[in-house]
Amino acid sequence: MRIIVTHPQVPFAHGGAEVLAERLTEELNERGHQAALVTVPFKWYPRERVLESAFVWRMLDLTEVEGRKVDLLIATKFPSYAVRHPRKRVWLVHQFRQAYDLDRTELAEFGESAVDRATRRAIHELDRRTLGEAEKRFAISQNVADRLSASLGLGAEVVLPPPQELDYRFDEYGDFVLSVGRLDRAKRVDLLLEAAATDPALRVVVAGAGPDRERLERVAAGHGLNGRVEFRGRVDAAELADLYARCGAVYYAPVDEDFGMVPYEAFLSGKPVVTTTDAGGPLDVVADRRTGLVTAPRADEVAEALRYLRDHPAEGQEWGRAGKAVAERVTWDAAIERLLG
Amino acid sequence: MKVAYYSPLPPERSGIADYSALLIPALKERVDVVVPARGHTKPPRGTELSVYHVGNNPDVHGWIVDALRRTPGVVVLHDFVLHHLVAGLTLARKDVAGYLNAMERDSGLPGRLLGLGVVDGCVPPLWSTRPEDFPLAGEVLDLAREHGLIVHSEHVRARALAAGFDGPIWRIPMPVWPAPPAEPAPVEGEPVIGSFGFLNSNKRIPQLLEAFAVVRTRHPRARLLLVGPEAPGLELERRIAALGLEDAVERHGYVEEARFWSLIAACDVAVSLRWPTMGETSAGAIRVLSLAKPLIVSDVDAYGELPDGVVLKVAPDEREVESLAASLLLLADDPARRASFSEAARSYASSEHGLDRVADLYVRAFEEAAGGPAVREQLLRSVAQGAAEVGLEDSEAIGSALREVGLGR
Repeated sequence: MRIIVTHPQVPFAHGGAEVLAERLTEELNERGHQAALVTVPFKWYPRERVLESAFVWRMLDLTEVEGRKVDLLIATKFPSYAVRHPRKRVWLVHQFRQAYDLDRTELAEFGESAVDRATRRAIHELDRRTLGEAEKRFAISQNVADRLSASLGLGAEVVLPPPQELDYRFDEYGDFVLSVGRLDRAKRVDLLLEAAATDPALRVVVAGAGPDRERLERVAAGHGLNGRVEFRGRVDAAELADLYARCGAVYYAPVDEDFGMVPYEAFLSGKPVVTTTDAGGPLDVVADRRTGLVTAPRADEVAEALRYLRDHPAEGQEWGRAGKAVAERVTWDAAIERLLG
Repeated sequence: MKVAYYSPLPPERSGIADYSALLIPALKERVDVVVPARGHTKPPRGTELSVYHVGNNPDVHGWIVDALRRTPGVVVLHDFVLHHLVAGLTLARKDVAGYLNAMERDSGLPGRLLGLGVVDGCVPPLWSTRPEDFPLAGEVLDLAREHGLIVHSEHVRARALAAGFDGPIWRIPMPVWPAPPAEPAPVEGEPVIGSFGFLNSNKRIPQLLEAFAVVRTRHPRARLLLVGPEAPGLELERRIAALGLEDAVERHGYVEEARFWSLIAACDVAVSLRWPTMGETSAGAIRVLSLAKPLIVSDVDAYGELPDGVVLKVAPDEREVESLAASLLLLADDPARRASFSEAARSYASSEHGLDRVADLYVRAFEEAAGGPAVREQLLRSVAQGAAEVGLEDSEAIGSALREVGLGR
């Protein structure tokens, strides 16, 4: 089949969603399909740009290319699903959350003016129509499917995305806690730093770049954590695999995350994960005392969980192994069979 | 957002007053709602959007239309047929030209001539005899065009579109009253069948009596409750006597709220028929459903939109009495079927007509109405500018794509 995968692109940014769209395209090609990734830059501010960015997708004609029909289109993230195609399927990474569950929170994008409120509603209407017209809808996690159902009354089957390819291995149950991910407020690295401040024996390695890095470094310095917290910035695949292989546990506790690839990567390296009760997607796989520890989103509880894992390495390794068994079932073969089925 | 909310309110005796008394507290939890007092047609300072409840009664809604004329806004259209309202706003104010213009707008020159006949007294008042043929909703629809229309049914939505309305329309279900813990009134008989609200021929009371007489032949203990004031000319007593139902029909006239609920609670089956309709949605029918009572309605207009598994429907045709009797017997004969309709009614009323859901839908409409035109305009300007800069002026393709995703008019 000739398949187009659509994904919005924020120039210079490259995170889990981008990896997912690229991998999907590659995996489709490896299975004998002719797949291409189509991206369009996305800008969400000032607020009127959101609708313009969405509308650009609507004006594209991807029904055929060079006179040959495109058999199927798989859209991923807002606003790439606004594109028109008779056989459009959506593998929803997320909607524009600032218009939904993040509205009127500290991560909000829209104010209280009539135009802001109406822009938010216009996004709902655009989503209702363009997601509603899709031939099939899938979501990358139960959390994303639940949000779609609660906000627009649209159903979606959950198809979990497989983790990226790395040299996953277990080298040791080391003495540091690893945090992986883009550094922005929603990833809540602060909570880990605050936990470290309460436990002088805790060592932390933070892998990832993002707009919040400087602030987080100041927070760490403010807590007197110099020497115990190491910001590695963006790391390459080999270094990331090495960190996973050598850490004692992985901390991953974003606020109501859509999916979260990190727990799967941790599990494939045989490491338990510490997350919080409000983390969203990670709770699909991080089960308390089975594959890791799930705590209240409080620094003292996070510190307690990490201390427990340090003091009980046998349990930690057992949970890591249990997580690995879960993660190994999430494969591209399984995902593609359902996406094309 | 500050919303000026124009509506009748209790103690005015109007279904719309009760509706607003229920809805306003839920809206106030979501937006800043100011309710102008009756007769105050100027929106309060700082109002970002005005909302007007319009029904067919000129005594109740006349001043609201005056306010709407002064400051256009969102119209909540409770009835599509507004002939009585328009007559009150024109002829009752000695504005003959206004009435004739409304008639001509509705039905062309024949309409104007017919209106002249009414004014001259040689044609009976159309608002009493044939209002459904001359709904006279044109001016109100015009005034709603810029900000939009809220309707309760697909029926009214379709009629507005057919009348040429091209502004935004939101269909929002009527909110359901939280059912009070009503003790069933003691009523003898089995099964007990009830009809609630004003008793007139539009409510198909004559047909109901005839069908009930059929039910009595198989269920001699069956009881019919008629709850509500009787319209002049209905000759209820004579009709009951002619069918030999004196011992089987219980009449209650106007009753207080608590008594009303307890009489509904006493029923095994409720009947809410209407033909012709004024395009309205029946608050009474929704109330009955909220008390989980099996309900039979007319299969017309907004009533016909109630889901098949939730109510039984009877078409107002030549076989109406026969169909109604069959539906009544279906429920009277089978308690399990009654229980099934009862559960469906409860579930439907709470999910579709739940107060929180309705209030959320209202706020959505308010937000879209207040800022939507500016958002659409801004987007259209930006897209059109981009197209013009590269020499493309195919505005139809752009407009069509904008409409497809809900961003155009």
